[in-house]
Amino acid sequence: MIDMVTATAQPARPRGRRSRAVLASLLVGPFQRRAWAELAWLAATVPVTAAGFAVLVPLLVAGAGLAIIAIGVPLAAAVVLAARRLARLHLRLASALLGENLPPPRPARPAGGLLGWVRSALGDPAGWRSVAYLVLRAPLAVAGAYVVVALWVYYGLLDLLAPLQVLYHQGQPGFRPFVLRAPDNAALLTVRTAPGTLALLATGMISLLAAPWAVRAVAAADRLLARAVFAPGRLSERVRELEQARARAVDDSAATLRRIERDLHDGPQVRLAALAMILGEVRESLHGVPLGDDHEDARIRGLIDSAHRNATETLTELRDLARGIHPPVLERGLEAALASLAAASPVPATLTVTLPARPSPAIESITYFCAAELLANVAKHSRASRAAITVTGRHGRVVLAVTDDGRGTARLVPGGGLAGLAERIRTVDGRLTVTSPAGGPTAVTIDLPEQP
Amino acid sequence: MPEPLRVVIAEDAAIMRDGLTHILTHRGHHVAAAVADAPALLAAVDAHRPDVAVIDVRMPPTHTDEGLHAALSIHRRHPQTGVLVFSQYIETRYAAELLAGDPEGVGYLLKDRVANVSEFLAAMHRVASGGTALDPEVVRQLIGTSRRAGELAALTARERQVLALIAEGRSNAAIAGTLVITPGVVTKHIASIFAKLGLPPSDSDNRRVLATLRYLQS
Repeated sequence: MIDMVTATAQPARPRGRRSRAVLASLLVGPFQRRAWAELAWLAATVPVTAAGFAVLVPLLVAGAGLAIIAIGVPLAAAVVLAARRLARLHLRLASALLGENLPPPRPARPAGGLLGWVRSALGDPAGWRSVAYLVLRAPLAVAGAYVVVALWVYYGLLDLLAPLQVLYHQGQPGFRPFVLRAPDNAALLTVRTAPGTLALLATGMISLLAAPWAVRAVAAADRLLARAVFAPGRLSERVRELEQARARAVDDSAATLRRIERDLHDGPQVRLAALAMILGEVRESLHGVPLGDDHEDARIRGLIDSAHRNATETLTELRDLARGIHPPVLERGLEAALASLAAASPVPATLTVTLPARPSPAIESITYFCAAELLANVAKHSRASRAAITVTGRHGRVVLAVTDDGRGTARLVPGGGLAGLAERIRTVDGRLTVTSPAGGPTAVTIDLPEQP
Repeated sequence: MPEPLRVVIAEDAAIMRDGLTHILTHRGHHVAAAVADAPALLAAVDAHRPDVAVIDVRMPPTHTDEGLHAALSIHRRHPQTGVLVFSQYIETRYAAELLAGDPEGVGYLLKDRVANVSEFLAAMHRVASGGTALDPEVVRQLIGTSRRAGELAALTARERQVLALIAEGRSNAAIAGTLVITPGVVTKHIASIFAKLGLPPSDSDNRRVLATLRYLQS
C-alpha cells in the first residue's frame, strides 16, 4: 500500500520501476495485516448484520402493523433499541478492524416507566439511524459473503485442491476428472486433463490473490456507509448530545447535593447534637457542686456555658446550611416541601399543587428553591398581605407560579434576584415571566421541563 | 423528682442513642430498649408497652420519615404510650400529620432541644402523661399560618407569648416559670386570651392545649 502511494505520488519515476511497484503491492497486498483484518471484519459482521436484518426488520414491520393495539409500539421500541445495540457492535468492530473511529450511538437513557422507555426509544434519531444502517448494510453483507465464499473458498482454496486430487489418484487406472460443483451439486466445471488441472491451480492462485482486493472493496463501501450514517457533525445530533450531557450534569449535581445533606445529617449534625446534649448534662450535673473558689467556679461554669451555647448555635447554623443544600422534606415530594415553605413564610401563603407524576429530583429541587426565593422576595419587597403558590404539571412541563397582592413593579433587571433566578433555570431550559403592574398584583411564573 | 418512666428509644445514630440512654438511666428512668430502626421500634413497643417512645424521624432503610410513620402507628395501636418524635428539622407537614388525629400523648421537637436536658425530660414527662410537647418552631409556624390572623392580632404581645407557650403544651406553672410571672397573672392572661378568641374556659392543662391547637389549625 505504502509502495503504491509512493508510486502514484511520484509520477516522475521511470515507468519500469513504477509498474514493478504496482505488481509488488498486488502480490504483497493479500498477505498484509490489513487484508486479514478486513477479512475478519466481514467474517464477524456479515452473520450479525444478516441475523439482525432478518429478525429486526420483520419485527419492526410487525410492530408498525400492530401499532393500533398496545403491543406494537413497545415492540417497535424494543426493535429500535436492539438495532442501536447491533450498530454499536458494528462500530466497535469497525474501529478495531477497519480503523474507522466513529462515535457510536450513545447508550439509550430511558426515562422512568414503560411509557418513558418507549418514548425515549422511538423518539431517538440515533436509534432510527441504527435501523437505517442495518437495512442499508444488508446488501453489502450479501456482497461481502459472496466475495468471501466465491473468491476465497470456492475459486481459491477448492481450486488449489485439484492437483491434490490428481496426486491422490495417481497410479490408478484412468484419469478421474476434477469436478467443481455448485451448491446444488450441478457440475460447474469439469477438468479431465493434467494440463487442465494445472490451469485450475493457476486460477485458484489468481483468485486467492484477487480475493483480498475484493474484500477491500467491500470494506471500503462499509466505511463509506458507516461514515454516511454515523459521522458526527450534524448540528442537531450535537445539540442533542449536549442536552443529554447537560441533563446528566444537572442530575448528578442534584444527587451530589442530596448526598452531602445526608452525610451532614448522619455525621456532623448528629454528633454535634449529642455533644450539646452531653454538655447540657454536664452543666446540669454540676449544678450546686462547688468548683473551687468563687472566681474559679464562675470561670469554669462560664467555659461550660460558652461551649454549650456554641454547640447549639452551630447546630442551628448547620441546619440552615443543610436545608439550603437540599431540604430533606423534598424526599416526600414537592407538595410536602412547599407546604413547609409556605408555613414558614412571613407573608401568609396558600399552596395548590396539581402534579400528575413526580418530576425528576433535580427539577423538584429547582422548583423548591425558586419558590423559596420568590417567597423571600414577596416578604422583602412586595408589602403584600397574602401570597399564593401554585404548581401545575402538564404536557411534560412543571409550572410554578407565585402571586401576591402587593404593590407590584417587580422587574427583571440585570443583576437582580429575578434575573439570577432566570439565569439559574436556564440550565434546564426553564422560562421565567413576570407580570407586575404598579399597584399589583404580582405574578411570577416559572416554566420548567419535568426532566432536565 | 418526677416518677421514673419506662422508655423505648429509636435513633439510628449510636452516639445519640447511647448518650440519651445514659442520661435517662442516670436520671432514674428505665430504658427498656434502644433500637436503630422502625421495625425494631414497633417490636420493642409491642413487647415492653413503655410510657413513652422517643423516636427519630429519619431512620434506615430509606432515611426519610419512617420514624414518623412508626410514631403514628404506635399512637394508634397503643394510646397509653406517648410518642415523642424528634428530628433535625421541623417540617410543618409532619407536625400536621402528628396533630391530625388525637394530639394527646404526642410530642414533636427539634433534636437540638436535647441540649437542654431538663426541658427535654419535662417534655418527655408531659407526653408520657398524655400531654403535648410541641417545639416553639412548630408553634411559630402554626401561629404564622393560622387563618385566624385577624383575631390573633387582637392579643397583646404578652398574651401572644402565653398563647405560644400553651400551644407548646406547657402547664400554667411552667408558663409562670418561663415568663417569670406569678401563676395568678398567668391565669388572668389565659382567661383574657380565651375570651378574646372565643374559646371555652378550662381548668385542665391538657384540654387547654387541645383547644388552642384546634383553634390554631382551624
